[in-house]
Amino acid sequence: MIIPGLNCDNEYCMDISGEHLIEADREHVWKLLNDPDVLKKCIPGCESLEQNSPDTFRAKVVLKIGPMKASFNGDVELKDKVFPSSYRISGEGKGGIAGFASGDAAVNLVEENGGTRLVYEADAKLGGKIAQLGSRLVQSSSTKLAKQFFDTFCEIASQEATV
Amino acid sequence: MYETKYQRASNVEDAAKMLAATDDGKFISGGQTLIPTMKQRLAAPSDLIDVRNIDAMKGIAVDGSNVSIGAAATHAEVANSNDVHKACPALCDLAGMIGDPHVRHMGTIGGSIANNDPAADYPAAMIALNAQITTSKRTIGADDFFTDLFETALEEDEIVTSITFQAPSKAAYAKFPNPASRYAMAGVFVAQVEDGAARVGVTGAGSSGVFRHGEMEAALSKDWSEAAIKNCKVDEAAMLSDLHGNAAYRANLVKVMAKRAVAAAG
Ligand SMILES: Cc1cc2nc3c(=O)[nH]c(=O)nc-3n(C[C@H](O)[C@H](O)[C@H](O)COP(=O)(O)OP(=O)(O)OC[C@H]3O[C@@H](n4cnc5c(N)ncnc54)[C@H](O)[C@@H]3O)c2cc1C
Repeated sequence: MIIPGLNCDNEYCMDISGEHLIEADREHVWKLLNDPDVLKKCIPGCESLEQNSPDTFRAKVVLKIGPMKASFNGDVELKDKVFPSSYRISGEGKGGIAGFASGDAAVNLVEENGGTRLVYEADAKLGGKIAQLGSRLVQSSSTKLAKQFFDTFCEIASQEATV
Repeated sequence: MYETKYQRASNVEDAAKMLAATDDGKFISGGQTLIPTMKQRLAAPSDLIDVRNIDAMKGIAVDGSNVSIGAAATHAEVANSNDVHKACPALCDLAGMIGDPHVRHMGTIGGSIANNDPAADYPAAMIALNAQITTSKRTIGADDFFTDLFETALEEDEIVTSITFQAPSKAAYAKFPNPASRYAMAGVFVAQVEDGAARVGVTGAGSSGVFRHGEMEAALSKDWSEAAIKNCKVDEAAMLSDLHGNAAYRANLVKVMAKRAVAAAG
């Protein structure tokens, strides 16, 4: 069954962007963006994140959208690193019968009045059953998940800065 | 569907205990949301604790202007209740517009509000009527109960037991249903409560789920008429956008439904 609006691979794609001002200097924010413990706290539903190499991780994520609950195993990778101003973080996971989920975000850090402005542009994809059944709610839920990642990150980064 | 264990609770305390004893259990009422999700294998609770047969969660009681509806009341029971009809006919209309006859005879008001689907109908009525939601642990005002898409103030082991509200002096619900699912593309519940204050609950349209429209409430509190909300703005940035309709379309629908509801309430 293919629902109109999904592309021919039965994927549902959406673009999400946003920005935050963090009260911390850029190098500090950069360090946190590369810290697996911080990433684990920010990835919504992340139960474990194991580092395989400096820039790759193995993740287990439990995604809960309303009545749905599916666990995804996948990989997270940090790419195109330009110290201390930008990188891409991308993740891809398979949730068995539920389908797959992937996300990719370009993150830019710009110095601003002693703080750091974090600007992100993300796109998230859900495919398979979770996208078919949930097409009514997939977009809003994915936007929420991406926002949650960056909201949590900025909260952690600002907290760390004030200690 | 994956294997699961079905259990029936006979009172609220037992239901909570039964859930605590499970690995990854869930409460179930009408099953109109949970069962289809399980059939698709998008949820696999180890146990289902059925709370529909708990006496304290059944029935509808209207005493003067106090209306109390048990969480296990089905949509059909609410739609056909003479008592509710006398106190707040708009709520009967709303319940009668949910899904199809099968859904209305199985689905419950408690299940609907616990699920807080952004397109469900009851949440709009709950916030417009300033309903109090009683659970196994406490009573929560509707404004604090619905927190985000599919999210509520409920804890994992907390059960909705009943819903109470004061009969409004007038109220109406207008919904633009998705032609396939009957869920709301936009649904607006307007109510005139104590001292002529107006409350406006909007469902189906908001990107963070159900919400109140402050500007329309202020306008209607002064002058209950369609004309009063003519110039109210619905913020497109706060609207859902999906393959059924974009944000601008939904923002317009909210306005149109609000006007219809005000006219219907008289
Ligand atoms: C084809 C179809 C069309 C529909 N159309 C509409 C529509 O137009 N408008 C609309 O509003 N809804 C619609 N629905 C949804 C329907 O109203 C459901 O009945 C309702 O959303 C869930 O109620 P339920 O009793 O079936 O809950 P269930 O499916 O049993 O449970 C839903 C969730 O709530 C939890 N839960 C259930 N009861 C309680 C409780 N007492 N306390 C705490 N948690 C609880 C469960 O654990 C589960 O997570 C439709 C459903 C279908 C299948």
